[in-house]
Amino acid sequence: MSARDKYETVIGLEVHVQLNTASKAFCSDSTLFGAEANTQVSPISLGHPGTLPVVNEEQIAKAVKLGLALGCEINPHSSFDRKNYFYADLPKGYQITQDRSPICIGGALKIKIDEAFKSIRIHHIHMEEDAGKSIHDTDGAYSLIDLNRAGVPLLEIVSEPDLRSAEEVDAFMSGMRQLVRWLDVSDGNMEQGSMRCDVNVSIRLKGEEEFGTRCEIKNVNSMRYARRAIAYEVGRQVDIIEKGGSIEQQTLNFDPDTGTTTPLRDKEDAHDYRYFPEPDMPPIRLSDGYIQAVKDGMVRLPWELYEDFTEKLGLSDYDASLLTEEVEVAKYFLGLQHLSQQTKASANLIINKILPYCKDKQLALFDFPVASENLVEFLDIIRTGKVSNAMAYQRIFPEMTEQPDRSPLEIAKDLNLLQSSDTSFLEELIEGILADNPDKVKVYRNGKKGLLGFFMGELMKKSKGKADPKVANKLLREKLEA
Amino acid sequence: MAKYSDLASVQQAIREGQTSCKALVAFYLEQIKEHQHLNIYLEVFEEEALQKAAALDKKIQESPEKLGKLWGMVVSIKDVICYQGHKVSAGSKILENFESLFSATAVERILAEDAIIIGRTNCDEFAMGSSNENSAYGPVLNGINPQKIPGGSSGGAAVSVQMDTCLAALGTDTGGSVRQPAALCGILGMKPSYGRISRHGLVAYGSSFDQVGIFAHKTEEMALLLEVMAGADEYDATASKREVPAYSQTLEPLQQPSIAYYRSALEHPGLDEEIRTLMEQQLDEFRRAGYRVEGVDFKYLDYIVPAYYVLTTAEASSNLSRYDGVRFGFRDKEADSLEDMYTHSRTQAFGEEVKRRIMLGTFVLSAGYYDAYYTKAQKVRRLIAEETRRLLSDFDFLLMPTTPAPAWNLGEKTDDPVEMYLADIFTVQANMAGIPGIAFPVGKTGEGLPVGLQLMSNVFEEAKLLSFVKQLGY
Repeated sequence: MSARDKYETVIGLEVHVQLNTASKAFCSDSTLFGAEANTQVSPISLGHPGTLPVVNEEQIAKAVKLGLALGCEINPHSSFDRKNYFYADLPKGYQITQDRSPICIGGALKIKIDEAFKSIRIHHIHMEEDAGKSIHDTDGAYSLIDLNRAGVPLLEIVSEPDLRSAEEVDAFMSGMRQLVRWLDVSDGNMEQGSMRCDVNVSIRLKGEEEFGTRCEIKNVNSMRYARRAIAYEVGRQVDIIEKGGSIEQQTLNFDPDTGTTTPLRDKEDAHDYRYFPEPDMPPIRLSDGYIQAVKDGMVRLPWELYEDFTEKLGLSDYDASLLTEEVEVAKYFLGLQHLSQQTKASANLIINKILPYCKDKQLALFDFPVASENLVEFLDIIRTGKVSNAMAYQRIFPEMTEQPDRSPLEIAKDLNLLQSSDTSFLEELIEGILADNPDKVKVYRNGKKGLLGFFMGELMKKSKGKADPKVANKLLREKLEA
Repeated sequence: MAKYSDLASVQQAIREGQTSCKALVAFYLEQIKEHQHLNIYLEVFEEEALQKAAALDKKIQESPEKLGKLWGMVVSIKDVICYQGHKVSAGSKILENFESLFSATAVERILAEDAIIIGRTNCDEFAMGSSNENSAYGPVLNGINPQKIPGGSSGGAAVSVQMDTCLAALGTDTGGSVRQPAALCGILGMKPSYGRISRHGLVAYGSSFDQVGIFAHKTEEMALLLEVMAGADEYDATASKREVPAYSQTLEPLQQPSIAYYRSALEHPGLDEEIRTLMEQQLDEFRRAGYRVEGVDFKYLDYIVPAYYVLTTAEASSNLSRYDGVRFGFRDKEADSLEDMYTHSRTQAFGEEVKRRIMLGTFVLSAGYYDAYYTKAQKVRRLIAEETRRLLSDFDFLLMPTTPAPAWNLGEKTDDPVEMYLADIFTVQANMAGIPGIAFPVGKTGEGLPVGLQLMSNVFEEAKLLSFVKQLGY
């Protein structure tokens, strides 16, 4: 047993989610990503004298929505605070956040680890504004500041220290990403920084109940970094303790180039943020009626649909997981399933054909060109045996994406793919095949039944794939065994 | 040209052709020049005011039906109120030559009613002060006696009306900064209820206390300006959505007003004898008029100033963090690190009083001291607000001295900040409780210095308050 195996890792997360509201948290500036630097900045974003914040109500609705989805208690009376610190990309010299009275309290997110579910408790969710961006490596002499992001609304989701491994962190972050996208709260894009997390890591001997001293790793902006940072940090802490040392509470920075964590600052020069109530905005009062209205406007949640899909519709775990990954996919599936009255076939078509097509063409699912009535017809001609499954998928589907307005049945006719269950036509072909292969017929009749496959192959070749396999099979046997 | 102390006379004189807007502005510009030594204005918008006056004269001729409510009113604005395309420096070096990109809601609303803004008035730096000696641009002198301070922080605004350089002035009142200089200059000064007028476009000092205030000679002008400026604002979440009464139409005499006063205020050891006598005379006058007058106890009087300074400096320490030299305002160009840039810029460009309050506010919010100072002061504020509002549900008005003493000599108190802070003892209660108050002149000391008393009413009872002050002869 290695030293590391004696210890249990304990992790808590602070996940920052950038909301996809049209305008900023406290003013009407656009939040669009990628605009030219410092173009989405009004005097309010810039912290000019005389400007005041006014809360964006869309931000509140999104916070409440996420809170309800996670089973949080919605605070009917939350309020904003100021977190004071100086930095060049923080225009007002303070960040507006929620310290004493956050908007959502408690709740949990279920994650799936090794086929089992585990509930990760949420401590609270609070609203705050983002800072701008400092760019230190472009200009030789100066730091450059872009304030487009300053004031963009964020939710900070603070978990309890319920996570025990990098895999669980991964599952939690994936689940959270799925949920915020599902609820249309955020685009959950880690590359663009719409989702980032601070990871609090500590270790303790297995079986120990007391938590160890934790270190906070800041601004981990990809899952790959999170795994590496946690692995490094756990190793570092084990080494220290194994050598008889003790962990110092620190804020750490993860350097992806070296794969190591280094202290940002220690306790001695820790910031005193001097939190105090934001006097420029009254507390946010949310009535029961308001909370109910948000609830009523919400779509069903991914895990609810997953349960429906597996239990009521009998789909496999795999299919159900894929179909509940994104709300659009689930909605698309439910639409097609409803129209076609075919569950498994709808799932297969979406998973195997439509999603890969859209991914390839970089299309949103709802921009997939083929109308739903044609998709329903497509599934129908397979079900009724007019075309084979294979021919439909291989030949008709590509044609449908080229000519989205044409009926798949027409396409099948054009391509001469309609399956033949016309027995006289098939019988004629079979007669010909048997006549061409008298020795093989003999071998078959002597008991080598495996040759049926050969005759089927020949028949398919001759019929150009149009033979209905069931009918053909039956006829072949009759003829061979006559 | 005759001096006008009310808008009706101005408008009548213009209508009758005795004068014009342009002549009126020219007159005020003359007055400003004559009183330049008082250092009232930081900037006079001479050309612009004359042009606006000319345009208004044309409008009077051509489309009088389109005239706004405030036509003919020439107003000054305190240098903490933003006016698009104009400088706003908050009396500070740190904002020297800073131009505002937008106008305060109050400014927009008076301009929309055809007021003419003649200039921006000097004030204590970031509205922090009781004597106007904290301006980076030099003190303002009291027009009645230039040896004396005019009061603060809206000292320039008060003297601008006192010396007839305009008809009315906009100031701001965080702990008495309108009422106190009004009293020391012998004019009317009003602080409306907190949230009555939008704070959008006011350079913030203490956000939960700041309020636009009005200086004038008569209640009619205050009522009119208040009704124009007050009301909900999409740019200020703390602006009240309460409907705005037509204050100028409701200045009716009250039948049986009831007036309370604090015995502890009247008997306060710090209160000047002459002011005490004038206050007693005023109470006697009320009694003779048959009003209900009662002395009541108020046990928190001595806690008001300490609690006020804890809370306002806490808010100020945060509000003034944005003056960091990064995006606008003064920057020490020699500094070669971010840390140095902050420290040098703020050290060089903030005045002593502002630095004192930033440090005090930073201290009371610091870990380990927060509860002892900030939390406790908030509790005191709540007690004072509740007690005050309860009293004002039993009485129509609370009468107080405005200041413990008349205008003092320049430099007399600058070495003792605590004594300076204590001069706010009678005015900060209105800001702590969010209620409106009006300072009105009651007479003069033997030395000839004006004395003002102050009437307060319950929150959003400005209509009643204005009516009663009018009844007193203003």
